[in-house]
Amino acid sequence: MHIGHYISGAGHVGLIGWLLLGPLFNSEPLPFEVTNVSMVTEEEYAALVAAEQSPNATDTAAQPPAPDVTEEAPPPAPREETPPPETAQPAETVPAPAPEDAPEPAEDAPPVVAQPEDTPPPAPAPPGQEDVAVILPETSARPQPRPAPRVAPEPVAPSEPDVQVDEQVQPEITPDESATEETPQDPQEATAPEEAATEIVTEAEEPSGAPERSMRPRVRPRAPAPPLATETAETPEPSEDTNPTASAVEDALAEALGGGTEPSAAPSGPPLSAGEKDALRVAVQGCWVVDVGSPSASVTVVVAMQMEQSGKVTPGSLRMVSSEGGDATAARVAFEAARRAILRCQKDGYNLPIDKYDQWQEIEMTFNPERMRIR
Amino acid sequence: MMERVKTFFAAMVAALGLIFAAVGAASAAPLRIEITEGVIEPVPFAVPGFVAESTGAEEWGARLAQVVADDLTGTGLFRQIPASAFISRPTSFAAPVQYADWKAINAQALIMGAVAVADNGRLTVKFRIYDVFSGQELGKGLQFQGTTDGWRRMAHKVADAVYSRITGETGYFDSRVVFVSETGPKDDRKKRLAIMDYDGANVQYLTDSQSIVLAPRFSPTGDRVLYTSYATGFPRIHVLDVGSAQSRILESQSGTMSFAPRFAPDGRTVVFSLTQGSNTDIYSMDIGSGGAQRLTNTPGIETAPSYSPDGSRVVFESDRSGSQQLYVMPAGGGEATRISFGQGRYATPVWSPRGDLIAFTKQTKGRFHIGVMRTDGSEERLLTASFLDEGPTWAPNGRVIMFTRETQGASGQASLYSVDVSGRNLKRVRTPGGASDPSWGPLQ
Repeated sequence: MHIGHYISGAGHVGLIGWLLLGPLFNSEPLPFEVTNVSMVTEEEYAALVAAEQSPNATDTAAQPPAPDVTEEAPPPAPREETPPPETAQPAETVPAPAPEDAPEPAEDAPPVVAQPEDTPPPAPAPPGQEDVAVILPETSARPQPRPAPRVAPEPVAPSEPDVQVDEQVQPEITPDESATEETPQDPQEATAPEEAATEIVTEAEEPSGAPERSMRPRVRPRAPAPPLATETAETPEPSEDTNPTASAVEDALAEALGGGTEPSAAPSGPPLSAGEKDALRVAVQGCWVVDVGSPSASVTVVVAMQMEQSGKVTPGSLRMVSSEGGDATAARVAFEAARRAILRCQKDGYNLPIDKYDQWQEIEMTFNPERMRIR
Repeated sequence: MMERVKTFFAAMVAALGLIFAAVGAASAAPLRIEITEGVIEPVPFAVPGFVAESTGAEEWGARLAQVVADDLTGTGLFRQIPASAFISRPTSFAAPVQYADWKAINAQALIMGAVAVADNGRLTVKFRIYDVFSGQELGKGLQFQGTTDGWRRMAHKVADAVYSRITGETGYFDSRVVFVSETGPKDDRKKRLAIMDYDGANVQYLTDSQSIVLAPRFSPTGDRVLYTSYATGFPRIHVLDVGSAQSRILESQSGTMSFAPRFAPDGRTVVFSLTQGSNTDIYSMDIGSGGAQRLTNTPGIETAPSYSPDGSRVVFESDRSGSQQLYVMPAGGGEATRISFGQGRYATPVWSPRGDLIAFTKQTKGRFHIGVMRTDGSEERLLTASFLDEGPTWAPNGRVIMFTRETQGASGQASLYSVDVSGRNLKRVRTPGGASDPSWGPLQ
């Protein structure tokens, strides 16, 4: 025990002593290198640079080419990723065009098929870029939206010119004359969704890679309605004659058993899954055309409709339940846009599970353009 | 004891009943879906040639339908379905609409029209608009009558009605634009006032090219034009009667320069800039009496004033803070509030007819932009970018902005462009020769 105390005491004394007296015995700072700099004139500097400069260097070397940030066309593949020459034989009916730079093969010599190498050849560096600091672009590398005439939640790349616009992507099928009769092919036109960008691209925004303004945060979910305040202070004291428990039970029983109210037609079957609801939402939003510059773009409308079992809207059942924001004209326009969206996209009926018809025979859709406005 | 047991069981039954009732009520509620993502794309419409209801009206029917279609597609909000895609062609204005035929080609709106030419040469044009997918008519049919000379105006009126019924906004097709017509090389450019339809048709010249004219501004009723002329050697504000093409100089003090005029919404007051010595301030003047009132009094340069639609405030540009920025002050003068705080210089602010936005010219990083911002300076958006864009003017419905764009170089020429307030649908306005300083007049 004593030995431990001595050791601890000695250690503490030593630590305190070092803290108090340590700075007195500071060693000299470590020596550091000093480079003498002499002032030179412009002429001397030019002479020095000229002596060390390579003969091929040019003034343009300090200006690397500006990075191509346009997105209208897919960017050309970098040179180092150039695929090796095709060795497969092209189809006879569609001869591949010969490359312009391809050397003419000698008539007597057999055609030489270039073998692909395991490692791609090194990309030739642009002239004059060695030892040159690359000036980073001011814009970020964020992909730039395409200036498509259609703005939709999902970006869609431009399709082939002859492709029909449709929600589904289908390859073109043409009857193959060489096919046997056992495998008949129905002709089918190629379809693809219409080209779309995800946001409006103005002329002013086109050169920049990233937006100057951030997206408005999503709307906060509505808080549940607060419970109605009861004026407990003014509640009269119950009289001693009444039995509060019994009366409350009686009231609850009467209400639960439907006293005085119509019996509700409780639909049977399980509720729609989140995926089924999403499918309906996606189907309608593809046809909901929002005019972002219009006052109706500030109106949220709730539209109610009755549905037939076929998935189509019961004719004449579409009605506006409520609207929020904007005047009556803007609300009317917003409702008509919602109505057109619902009717246009139903086609032969929305794809809803028939076994859950009770769940969707009446639908209320809220069309909220809040997120569209900032595009 | 028995009483307690009975009460307990009764409470249990009630609780179970409440649970079942709640579940039943929840199931009976409609399915609720929220749509927050839509698409921004032109609405497809079909406009068959107007049915000829008299001999010789066929040509007018085709021309009217073409102008209506051009007006609507020119907004960028509508897309015309080509006639080659039509399944049925109406032969009578009164015939019932075959909605299925128009649905099949995805026409959302159908415009049916008819035209007749009377013996005295007067045209009668009538039309109806149908919402194809809801299978009902949008509003009631309308009919216009006029001379054949005014056939384009009648077509514009039809297009305005269609636009209004589908978008809920008033149209802007039956309106005119006054501008400065420019001819000749850059170092010897001839300028004169001209007026045209909003789409560049029917150009008429209001002044000759003897003196330089600048910045014409329509009156709220479209019957007069204010402009600045150097006819006397000094810039002076003139007011021109559009009907008679007669102009007079507004009263001003000798030895001063007055410019950048603009009408107040009441049409009786003019707000303008006046330079005395080296100081430029903003004044207002009653046109009838000639009485002027000084609205700003700072050592900086204050110019380009523009009234709010209710006439209560004025937005203008000033360099009082050291750089050219936008300020808003009461219409009678007083303390001004700076509203622009971005990088670069702001100029030529114009209050939107809707009252919600201010359009402006912005110069930053060597480029010019046309932009819009809220009246408090928030939500600034740049709509265009080029070597030189300037001088925005609003369409009467506050939906479209027209401006001047000048190309670079010695052979550079000024021309008019328009752009939707959303930044889409940028396009050149067709004018004969060069054009600058547009001022969009009211709907006629």
